[in-house]
Amino acid sequence: MLDFQKYQIAFTAHIRDPKVNAKPTNANNKRIAVYREIVFNNIFGSVSACFPVCQQVLGKRAWLKLVKQFFAQHQASTPIFREIPQEFLKFLSAEKALPAYFQQLAHYEWVELAVNMQAVQTPKTSKVTDLLNEIPVLAPASMLLEYDYPVQKISARYKPKSIEKTYLFVFRNLHNKVKFIELNPITFQLLKLTTENNMPCEQALIRLAEHLQHPDIDAVIKFGLEILQDLANQEAIIGSTKK
Amino acid sequence: MALINAIQGVGLGLKRELIPQIQALYQDSSIANINFVEIAPENWIGAGGKAEQDLAWFVERYPIVCHGLCLSLGGPDPLNVNFLKQVKSFLAQHKIPLYTEHLSYCSDIQNGKAGYMYDLLPIPFTDEAVHYVAERIRQTQDILGQRIAVENASFYVAAPISTISEIEFINAVLTEADCDLHIDINNIYVNSVNFGFDPHAFLRQIPGERIVYGHMAGHYQEAPDLLVDTHGEPIIDPVWELLKSAYQLFGTFPTLLERDTNIPPLPLLLPELNKIAALQNAC
Repeated sequence: MLDFQKYQIAFTAHIRDPKVNAKPTNANNKRIAVYREIVFNNIFGSVSACFPVCQQVLGKRAWLKLVKQFFAQHQASTPIFREIPQEFLKFLSAEKALPAYFQQLAHYEWVELAVNMQAVQTPKTSKVTDLLNEIPVLAPASMLLEYDYPVQKISARYKPKSIEKTYLFVFRNLHNKVKFIELNPITFQLLKLTTENNMPCEQALIRLAEHLQHPDIDAVIKFGLEILQDLANQEAIIGSTKK
Repeated sequence: MALINAIQGVGLGLKRELIPQIQALYQDSSIANINFVEIAPENWIGAGGKAEQDLAWFVERYPIVCHGLCLSLGGPDPLNVNFLKQVKSFLAQHKIPLYTEHLSYCSDIQNGKAGYMYDLLPIPFTDEAVHYVAERIRQTQDILGQRIAVENASFYVAAPISTISEIEFINAVLTEADCDLHIDINNIYVNSVNFGFDPHAFLRQIPGERIVYGHMAGHYQEAPDLLVDTHGEPIIDPVWELLKSAYQLFGTFPTLLERDTNIPPLPLLLPELNKIAALQNAC
């Protein structure tokens, strides 16, 4: 390593964690303080903007401490600014001291940003022709999500204590607004089966009914069709396509 | 000067807050002095949805310059070649003729691992650093297949290991890399206060033939001897004087207003854009 690089690394180590790493020899402390402040504040702003509920749940002081720890310990690998929150998620996945639901809450908060900015191919004009016998086409910017906790209900006042499976479909509508729909477990499985396996809805519903050992397959199909229609009305399903 | 045909006159840094206002006033005579806009590729590469639509709107109507923040030309970690390739296809996709970066670094290595800091940090001014940075600029130009310009950066702490002055460093890098200069007038002034030198003497040593365009901005005065380059205040008179001198020394060059924090409504930025245009017309 070149001499000036040794200096650079001592400089950044100090900025990342001034309590642990001394400033480079002879560097002016008052001036280096500007960097301690602006570099961290920039990161703190990017992270805090994406995770308002995480911040409320932990409280201001613990949140500040957590983001400081992130900056001190995590080597972020993306040069793209909107991906800084994703780096924070990577950091959280190695953090053992936080409540069990916290990572999932953070992921849920990140999803809104991710779907809002998700780059997608414009779909060929699609319309709903036959929801039962065809494969539904989901809004192209979307995520089908499964959490262990009711992440959408968590707040400073409500912190889940036990597991409660939660299914969400998050998508960007035609007006570029991000929408969240809570799904029941069957609808979640239905969407997963049809879209991941390219399976027509009726076939997927029959398979689900068999799996649940449901006595009335027709009732399951009727129920499924209603739900699909409702998702189409909300623009979560934008069309249907033949196999 | 190393001017690019598409980039002329006066420009404005494109911030999200300003987008709907520019769109609403498009072709209105009040914003006739916005001739080009500047974006940071790190904010737009891979963005979909509303951002993608907004970008397409500007691509159709304004010449655009990419002014990068995270290439880390002076960084100790390897140049991010994947990112550079993304920049290259982004420039091609949106027909953006120019990419500029900073003479600074924004990444480091800790415990053997590279990581971004997302802010502009000062490169120590040594001969070793000159060769290192010039080589990375050459590598960048090779990968992109086009020349880049580098901006003189503002900074707050002098590296005690520096062996040459800032202007010597800039000139040595420009010569060795054979790249262009993106001259930031406010940064010259900020550094002149922070490190006690004469900004006009500094300006006279700038190789005018390498200038592609310039930046103007305001800064925050933290102490009489410490200015912070916030881009959040109106431009002060000494910086206007410096721009005038630059035009007199080198001839006019395209000049862009950066306003990145404390962003007022667009009409309040127009007087500064108009003033740049007036100075250009007076030369």
